[in-house]
Amino acid sequence: MGQYKKIQDKTLTAMWKYLLKKEFRQFLRDPGMPRMVMMFPFLIILVFPYAANMEVRNIKLAMVDNDRSDQSSLLMEKCASSGYFEVKSVSASPEEAQRMMDDGRIDAILTIDTGFGKYLEGSGPMQDAMPVGIKVNTVNGTRGNIGSQYLNACISGFVMSEKGMDSAPSSQVEIRESYLYNQFMDYKLFMIPALIVIAITMMCGFLPALNIVSEKEKGTIEQINVTPVSKTAFIVCKMVPYIAVAYFMVFSCLLLAKIVFGYGCAGSIFSIIIFTFAHILVMSSFGLLVSNYSENAQQAMFIIWFFSMVFMLMSGIFTPIESMPEWARAITYANPLTYYADAMRGICLKGSTLADTWFDLVCLLGIGGLTTTWAVLSYHKTN
Amino acid sequence: MQEELAIRVEGICKSYKDTKALQDISLDIRNGEIFGLIGPDGAGKTSLFRILTTLTLPDEGHAEVNGNDVVSDYEAIRRTIGYMPGHFALYQDLSVAENLDFYATVFGTTVEANYDTIKEIYSQIEMFRDRKAKNLSGGMKQKLALCCALVHKPDVLFLDEPTTGVDAVSRKEFWTMLARIKASGVTIFVSTPYMDEAGLCDRIALIHEGKIIDRGTPAEIVSRYPDRLYSVRGDNMFRILNVLRPIDGVLRCSSFGCECHVAVPQDGPDATLLLAALENAGLHGCSVEETEPGIEDCFIRLS
Repeated sequence: MGQYKKIQDKTLTAMWKYLLKKEFRQFLRDPGMPRMVMMFPFLIILVFPYAANMEVRNIKLAMVDNDRSDQSSLLMEKCASSGYFEVKSVSASPEEAQRMMDDGRIDAILTIDTGFGKYLEGSGPMQDAMPVGIKVNTVNGTRGNIGSQYLNACISGFVMSEKGMDSAPSSQVEIRESYLYNQFMDYKLFMIPALIVIAITMMCGFLPALNIVSEKEKGTIEQINVTPVSKTAFIVCKMVPYIAVAYFMVFSCLLLAKIVFGYGCAGSIFSIIIFTFAHILVMSSFGLLVSNYSENAQQAMFIIWFFSMVFMLMSGIFTPIESMPEWARAITYANPLTYYADAMRGICLKGSTLADTWFDLVCLLGIGGLTTTWAVLSYHKTN
Repeated sequence: MQEELAIRVEGICKSYKDTKALQDISLDIRNGEIFGLIGPDGAGKTSLFRILTTLTLPDEGHAEVNGNDVVSDYEAIRRTIGYMPGHFALYQDLSVAENLDFYATVFGTTVEANYDTIKEIYSQIEMFRDRKAKNLSGGMKQKLALCCALVHKPDVLFLDEPTTGVDAVSRKEFWTMLARIKASGVTIFVSTPYMDEAGLCDRIALIHEGKIIDRGTPAEIVSRYPDRLYSVRGDNMFRILNVLRPIDGVLRCSSFGCECHVAVPQDGPDATLLLAALENAGLHGCSVEETEPGIEDCFIRLS
């Protein structure tokens, strides 16, 4: 009996080994997949951070000077030299500036009306409205919004410095900002952990789901089902290559960021490993869930596409959760990416430890437990 | 007596929503025989195969393969059967040898250990052992699939429409292979929509709209055919059918390739009467001969 058991164990190990071998073989034999995997870290580190940059620079500005005083030209000079604007046209007529905006050639118009110089020289208090107008193109909301803020800041700064000479210095309050954890407000540093999150999500949630559905489509899964291979063995072996690739991506991204930008990870690699594993658990069970409910790759693709939009946009990766309305915030709490991204940013930027991020980990594992149970139950039902 | 049965099916029913795919199917398949399940597309052949290979559950009734229940002992069944589905279901991106290795390994054996079982078939495709399965021709794919289903020396081999879409020569070759596999002691349960393959089975069951309409050896089924049968040949088959059908005493009249078979009761109209009717209708040059019924005639009578 013991002998028999030993033989059985041996054939079982052989079976697992061969299943794994098969998955790796198929993965490597795929014409696009290995190349994509190698490309991804480079894109994430070298291309995407620049593209996903939300700092607004180079706002195209037209300035209309109806005052033609010393002060008005000083103000224009100040705006032009602030670095945020690209001055497209100076002292055009208001109509021409408007036309340029209608054509989409400029983002903002600064109009200085007659009396600006007098207004500044006037010793009276600033009760009357300042004869300066700002028009902003808000077709792109973020750009318009931030553009007008910059312009406002420039103008009020200028007015302050001009008038401030005379007014009482006691009313002046100097505000000095200091940015913690990301001293220079470098957008890349902030986006890289988030982009890694997206890559892992794609790698471990969506690719295995499509792989399983395509086995369903080709009928090969039926052929496996009549063999003694258990469903657990089949699924686990299917996941292993993707898990390996996921870790490869995390580490190659971190390494590239270090080499190219000199960014080190402030936290421990160990916590990154733990969080990545928790996220893989969530995403792969989610992928299995999708594959259980879809008959063909097209269906699976659509479900995945739908959820990936929700996952990415409602996770705080691109826009802060705090600025979302109440109901949208509720959705972000059910989104695993929220927790993984939060933890990854914390670990990479602040050097958060597991003790600091335990809440994220608990939520991630909670969601993972839920999706895994559901996936396993529905898997048994459908097969 | 029980030990002689490789497959026992009792009162199996299966429905998909409103469609009754299988209704009260009962079958006994003996050890070491080739048993053919014969019926047109949509008769329920694949549904029965999927139940017996433990891929789906029956709604009612129970079935045993090698004495193991298909519901409760499915794991034991999976170790002892080989299944070749109607469509090619091997890994297209793995090579011939890799596919074979894979199926041997998942059954806990090796290709070398069971080489004898598959030697005759595998030797025909061994020269392509490094070619990917997707680059094989249809006939080669079928041979590979058969090798993969046999590589673990199954007791029972399930072949679901193995000859559908295969040319006449390959079909013949395939049945020769089946005879050899049978000789090595494997029970073969095969389904086919081709009535002419029925004669190559030891015993058959005719299935139509989810019901077994007859069973037995091909000779038994044919001998149970009660009517007299004429084979009519002529140029305009469509008109011949239209002329013969309304004749009193003609039970059935159906076209069979380039001829048509006319069934009449034993005391019904004879050949001269039929020929006269055709002549009267202006159809000259026809021939009417009495002929032996085949399985297809039996199927048409029963369905």
